[in-house]
Amino acid sequence: MNSALAAAIAILGVMPSAIGEGLVCAHIVDGMSRNPEMYSKLRTTMIIACALVETTAIYSLLISILILFTK
Amino acid sequence: MFDTEKLLSFDLPGEVISSLIVMGIIVILAIIVGIWASCQNPLRRPRGLLLLAEIGVKYFDNFSAELVGPAVPNFGGFLMGVAVYLFLSFIFGLTGLPSPVTYMAVPLSLGLTTFLLIHFTSARFTKWRYFKRYVDPIPVFLPINLISMWAPLLSLTLRLFGNAVAGWALLTIVEYALRDLSATIFSAMASGWNEIFLAPIPLAILHAYFDLFSGFIQTFVFILLTTIFIGQEIPEEITLSTMERRKIKHE
Repeated sequence: MNSALAAAIAILGVMPSAIGEGLVCAHIVDGMSRNPEMYSKLRTTMIIACALVETTAIYSLLISILILFTK
Repeated sequence: MFDTEKLLSFDLPGEVISSLIVMGIIVILAIIVGIWASCQNPLRRPRGLLLLAEIGVKYFDNFSAELVGPAVPNFGGFLMGVAVYLFLSFIFGLTGLPSPVTYMAVPLSLGLTTFLLIHFTSARFTKWRYFKRYVDPIPVFLPINLISMWAPLLSLTLRLFGNAVAGWALLTIVEYALRDLSATIFSAMASGWNEIFLAPIPLAILHAYFDLFSGFIQTFVFILLTTIFIGQEIPEEITLSTMERRKIKHE
């Protein structure tokens, strides 16, 4: 019970990361609509940036998994 | 004393054995490509595996020339080796055996390689000025710099490990849930056979995302960060002087 609660608190760390990912996507879409011929280049950059931003979310996911599954 | 009994009984974690299998595959591929490339007539168009290998070599050479510069000429080989190993390790989970990246030692050793390379490159090109990075603006920052020097190692290691473990845990949870659901729905059938109906299609899609797509992206990010970290340790005047020297040699 306690470890489940701790894992639930730890997973809250994905919230800011989701906001950050949304910001990345929003600005990339801005750039695409302003400059449509850059579409493919911007898409590659967006995927890499999303993977980098995701890292912090993955840290908290990792910690919550560790809390749940280690006795 | 050296324990032969333990060595022969293969008392190793499953991930280490998968890692050895991946390395074996890479060595065999490298030998095949090497023999093929030396026998191939260079005027003819390459096909199949050789074409793939040539595209890869050219891509990684351009990549390292762009981000590291001509001061470290053979850096593309290291990059391609790490990239092939990492990508094959990620997609090794598709065979059903444990993926090597889900074992902490594998991402840690890859991160440690990058970490050591960063410091050796810095010491090689800046000589004694290397120690200046620890007292960067003023000597008071020494403890902060000593802590922050571990940041690349931690971030590279945990990024790979976290991605692999998150994918593995999610797939395992979905697998168990679908197995139980299938057993409940088809409970009229013999036990053992009623568990296999729901899992294949959703799990295939999840595997395609977590192993193939995520593995590819993480491999690319690891390579990109390694190259950028090492590239920024080389001072600009050394890159420029190497280019000058090469230009003179060409003329």
